[in-house]
Amino acid sequence: MKSKVAERMLAKMPNDVKIFVDKYADIVVRINLLLKEKGFTQKDLAEKMEKKPSEISKWLNGEHNFTIRSIAKLEAELGETILYVPRRQLFQSEVGHKTVMTVCRNDQFNKNVQFTDGNSTKIQKVASLSLAIS
Amino acid sequence: MNTFALEIWFDETSLCSFYTVRKDGFEDNETDLFFKKFEDEDNQYNNSAQELLYLIVNSIGDVYGATDDFFDRIENKAQALPPKPKKWIPEIKELGIHFPLRLLCFRISESIVVLFNGGIKDQRTEQESKDLSINFYEAQEFAKRIVEALRDKTILISENGRILTDFQNNTDIIL
Repeated sequence: MKSKVAERMLAKMPNDVKIFVDKYADIVVRINLLLKEKGFTQKDLAEKMEKKPSEISKWLNGEHNFTIRSIAKLEAELGETILYVPRRQLFQSEVGHKTVMTVCRNDQFNKNVQFTDGNSTKIQKVASLSLAIS
Repeated sequence: MNTFALEIWFDETSLCSFYTVRKDGFEDNETDLFFKKFEDEDNQYNNSAQELLYLIVNSIGDVYGATDDFFDRIENKAQALPPKPKKWIPEIKELGIHFPLRLLCFRISESIVVLFNGGIKDQRTEQESKDLSINFYEAQEFAKRIVEALRDKTILISENGRILTDFQNNTDIIL
């Protein structure tokens, strides 16, 4: 069952609203998870961050939502990545096979992959490293 | 408070069912009344209402469930969505505090949430906000009655944790 009002609003909802809320929820949950994993209480993190009062002040009086800068600060404090940004990477074999992939998790990995025999199964193997062929 | 019906508002979600309440003699339930106020695309709060709706039905309903990430661990009381920010993390504080709308709700479990009415939060607290104060106190009364009904088993939770019934297994519940 679905409320008719909710149904009407969802039907008219722009994609950017959905994307914004998805990212907001993901980031909030990710930060909470990292705090738990690292054994930080929220107070610990605050105390750690309050060593930089000018930055805290900027956050408190600044924009209402996450900014790239504030996420960077949090990632630095927590020592973990919060936001992954896909990027495109060219892979080329010695025998002429070439493909461009969108990298969905840009953790450090060996970019100098060599395709010595152009075997498509090797391309598949690389693709399975959490990459998506675009 | 008069009697009210406890009915499903949105359950086409994989992790959490949303219930609402409909006051005796009212055609609309409380949650529809809330969203109808902001449904018009010209309404200045339409965008916020859309964000809140999507947070509820998608993020909570389909992706994460009604976890502590979105709710405070306050027992037996109504609370507001979006969640009250954890005050010592600036990022989360920003997201919650500046959001102009609040929808009152009561979390029964991670799989069942009852949504009430809400309004515009333009003061420090829900109680002080003109558009919210009556709904805030009403929500506490609704929550109190639901808690009592769960305690005395007038309301039961199904085995799969997603459906509420009365003691005769009816899904139309009057409290």
